[in-house]
Amino acid sequence: MTPLPPRLGQLIKHRRVIVCCGAGGVGKTTTAAALALAGARAGRRVLVLTIDPSKRLAETLGVSRNPPTPVSLPPDRLAAAGITPPGSLDAWMLDPKLIADESVRRLTKTKEDADRVLNNRIYQQISAMVAGMHEYTAMEALHRFVTQGRYDLVVLDTPPSRHALDFLEAPRRLSALIEGKALTAFLPKSDSMVARAASKLVEKILGAIFGQDFAQEFIGFLVTFTGIFQSLTLDVRTMREFLSGDDVAFLLVASPAPAMLAEAYFFHDKTRELGLPFRGFVLNRSQARASALPFPDAAWLGPDAPAAALAALPKLQALAEVERQHAARDQDLVRQLQQKAGSAGAVHPLPELPQGADDMGTLLAIAESLANE
Amino acid sequence: MKRLFDKRVVLFTGKGGVGRSTITAALAKAAAKEGKRVLVTEVGDDPNDYSPLARHFGRDRLPLGVEELAPGIRGVMLLARSGQEAFMRSVLRSATLARAAIGNDAIRRLLSAGPSFREMGVFFQLLTYLREPGKGGAPEYELILIDMPATGHTLSLTGLPQVLLNLLPRGPIADALREGQTYLNDPAKAAAYVVVLPETLPVTECFELLHGLERTRMNVGGIFLNRVPQDPFTEEERAALEGLLKRTPALGNNGFQRAVVAKRERARLLAGTPLPVFQIPDLGDQGLLEAMGRALDGIRPIERQGGAA
Repeated sequence: MTPLPPRLGQLIKHRRVIVCCGAGGVGKTTTAAALALAGARAGRRVLVLTIDPSKRLAETLGVSRNPPTPVSLPPDRLAAAGITPPGSLDAWMLDPKLIADESVRRLTKTKEDADRVLNNRIYQQISAMVAGMHEYTAMEALHRFVTQGRYDLVVLDTPPSRHALDFLEAPRRLSALIEGKALTAFLPKSDSMVARAASKLVEKILGAIFGQDFAQEFIGFLVTFTGIFQSLTLDVRTMREFLSGDDVAFLLVASPAPAMLAEAYFFHDKTRELGLPFRGFVLNRSQARASALPFPDAAWLGPDAPAAALAALPKLQALAEVERQHAARDQDLVRQLQQKAGSAGAVHPLPELPQGADDMGTLLAIAESLANE
Repeated sequence: MKRLFDKRVVLFTGKGGVGRSTITAALAKAAAKEGKRVLVTEVGDDPNDYSPLARHFGRDRLPLGVEELAPGIRGVMLLARSGQEAFMRSVLRSATLARAAIGNDAIRRLLSAGPSFREMGVFFQLLTYLREPGKGGAPEYELILIDMPATGHTLSLTGLPQVLLNLLPRGPIADALREGQTYLNDPAKAAAYVVVLPETLPVTECFELLHGLERTRMNVGGIFLNRVPQDPFTEEERAALEGLLKRTPALGNNGFQRAVVAKRERARLLAGTPLPVFQIPDLGDQGLLEAMGRALDGIRPIERQGGAA
């Protein structure tokens, strides 16, 4: 007999890290916020980390969008959300530029080193555009907060991207760039003949691309920047090991669009390949559970229904019929996903919420339904 | 909508799952039918990316070199690396040096993670296709349609010239960026269209995206308000059903709520921007591309009451 896949309610209570992955526009941030709420309601000290959330969600959680450190949900909101000690909920909405500056300050040994990077005009123009910076910083913050022991559970809402696992690839690219060895070619003086020849070539190429003046400045910037970030490569490796651990659960958040199955399968296979603990799918905007509702007919209307309701009944029935078909379609989707996930994770359908889900009432309802999964 | 076909390059942007790829593909077919030589593209991160856009042409992914996808429609994936290599070949006039540069490990690592280099590669590849001369003085690709992935990608591409020209006012990169600007910043030649759903969060984010595009001086041609649900109810009927559904939830409630929200969000969108808004009904999943083609054929912007331009 195959063991039952872990339920979401269990993950919320026992894991230390839940990573919400998914393409943009599937309700990832909302799901992350709801999972965090559910964790806090279960008595855990929870942090939700998200990049560039909607203004309204930030307001709901009682935080400004770009605070320098995590912000606690104010006591009145905690109480209103049914969170009692030891449970607590902090949120950190990360601004990429702020994060980059903060990383520079933390990773440099002296204030002078930090200022050298922060005041560099190349850095100022492009720090937010260094590929992999957002992703790296999100993971780095995650690692820091978990190892510090300040939180029992950290929920990470991964940066919006085309593919669910891009955020894992980006730091790898960044670390490949600044790995000391690869950059010997940029360093002005190297001890071996081969390195000197390579350096000449790189200088020549960069000169032709950027123009001589800027090429020199750019090489200078890279040497400073990468020299300072020596410790980062190790962090990325540690991070990977950390994310592969038993304390961690990866969830794919998806919506029942035709292209979704392909994305979900890709995600599932990729997490397996990378040795990451895949623990289930959250299927937003799903009508899989709608068929439990009654079909609107005369009995549903009741004996004293107003005339307008009677007139509207056939129209509502037409909508109900569509929903019945969608429910069948979405149930089929859940079955296929469950087959794919096997015993590694469960499939959790969540209903469609066209009015948006960034107010506390709706978030609490989602949290409740996730906790009971 | 014909105005869209007179551009050289059109960007389709908006969050995942809003129907961007379907609209891009349907418009490509319509333009090809009018005799335009169309190139459909998509910004990819990896050559193995599967593509919802390509699927509309019966493929899993777009080719790395230009290939014909359908009569009059060619397709290619915009990949940072292809553009970077093309750029190096054009700048480093010696083929040997270009090969050495492309094969150089340090350069390769730098290009894959260095600041702005990925966007630059995409930008340059796009420029190459824009420049490509065809027969009789006309461009080879008269109309280039780009399906832009995440909204962040869109803004870093349209904002690239501003960011980099500050740093690099002269040199080959500056020349390429300025040439690109002559296309992207000219409303006669380029436009971005935002695809959005009539729901609360998407409409809010659409406004944020429009501000971003304005900051990068990108001309916005209009907004596609996609998947607008049918609203068959009169005010009176709506009021009567609302109470009933609250008391006893029933099948159909979802569609009912969607219609209520869609109506409100459509009004908010129209009030919040003077741009033309093109409304597309909810077309279902079956035969979507053909249905989209019919819906877009001769589509006109929603007329605003009170004569707001």
